[in-house]
Amino acid sequence: MQNLDVISINLWQILISLCNLFLLFLILKKFLYKPVKKMMAQRQAALDEQYEKAAESERAAEMDRKAWAEKIQGAKAEADRLVKTAEARADRRSEQIVAKAKDEADGILRDAQSQAVLEKKKAKAEIKREIVDVSAALTEKILRREISEDDHRAILDSVLSEIGEENDGYQ
Amino acid sequence: MEKKRWFVIIDALLLFFAAIPILTGIVLRVLFTPASEGIEITGALIFTTVKMPWGELPITEAQINSWLVILSVFWLCLYLTHGITAKGGSRRQYLCEWVVEKTESLVQENMGEYFSGFAPFIAAVMALSAFSSLLSLFGLFPPTSDLNIVAGWAILVFLLITFYKCKCGPLQYLKSFTEPVAFLTPLNVISEIATPVSMAFRHYGNILSGSIISVLIAAALGGLSSLLLGWLPGIFGEIPFLQIGLPAVLSVYFDVFSGFLQAFIFAMLTMLYVAGGFPAELYAKKQVKKSQKKIKIKK
Repeated sequence: MQNLDVISINLWQILISLCNLFLLFLILKKFLYKPVKKMMAQRQAALDEQYEKAAESERAAEMDRKAWAEKIQGAKAEADRLVKTAEARADRRSEQIVAKAKDEADGILRDAQSQAVLEKKKAKAEIKREIVDVSAALTEKILRREISEDDHRAILDSVLSEIGEENDGYQ
Repeated sequence: MEKKRWFVIIDALLLFFAAIPILTGIVLRVLFTPASEGIEITGALIFTTVKMPWGELPITEAQINSWLVILSVFWLCLYLTHGITAKGGSRRQYLCEWVVEKTESLVQENMGEYFSGFAPFIAAVMALSAFSSLLSLFGLFPPTSDLNIVAGWAILVFLLITFYKCKCGPLQYLKSFTEPVAFLTPLNVISEIATPVSMAFRHYGNILSGSIISVLIAAALGGLSSLLLGWLPGIFGEIPFLQIGLPAVLSVYFDVFSGFLQAFIFAMLTMLYVAGGFPAELYAKKQVKKSQKKIKIKK
């Protein structure tokens, strides 16, 4: 066995070594870089897909949220409207009731007053007639012959009406 | 279950195949290296010599070892990319992703967008150089300490540099030698040729000098040991105790650190020279002109 010199140059060896490096380049490119890059591209694609999905679901959620907010807004408005109409109706109703009650009370009062006036008139007429009867009887007994009964009654009536007017004035 | 078992079996096979070249190298080394006496600094062992049209081709240890490295890296690649998925998760997947991403970002940073396809080449330079140098850890002859091997890589890099310099036409390439002043042309030619030569010799010299220094120090320590501890009785006097420790530390520097460093330097220089020699602005102008012409023709 021989050894090469420490410094020796051989063209064929150089050429082979050159080819060796090129060969290793091809090997690395084909067996390391290609599969790894392919895998990375796949991963990137998967990642992009995930992001796409996430963005989409976020959009959907946002839309849902908006829809719900709108719905809630609508429901609130509806509730407000309902409450308002109910209030209005109740107000109207209460007013009606109060008005009716007032009317009734007024009616009752009026009836009572008119009744009272009627009663008073009746009572007055009664009293008048009794007074007239009494005074007629009295005067008849006192002045039996001098005055006819009719004259007597006319005089007394006039007197009594005077009295009555005075009494009305007191009332 | 069946599938998983097959997966593991294939994994083991791939790793086994990756380890075989190294073992083969060690076996060859043990079988063919003659027992040496004292310090001996020689080149690679010649196994056989093949007759070629011009000159002879000696099949040396360096050649064989670099092929073994390539084979090993090939199986390692298959192992690393075996069963990688988009989901990730396995440790080897992180490793191969790290390798790919690191080299790509390195190439992007140093060479720019146009050369992004260079990542596998730079990785190949680094892997071949680093693993070749690391072979000395197994006691094998590191191919990088053979000038021919490194010269081959440097010439390939030189071809790449020239190819990218010629991107704007051979006339432009020749013109670039007369810049900035015409009388500097000889110097420019020399510096052009000096590029691959310096790259080759730098790498080769660093690794070879590392092994030479290691051998010298080991020998010196052996001598010192027999001088100082030779009085010990029997076999103890013959054991070179001082050789324990220090050579290992030096090996960490010369074999591991220097190996990685030289690989990195070689890759770095490749990137800088190729990207630096490429007339990017001129090329961009030319492309613009071309696309304009195309548009005109279409019109």
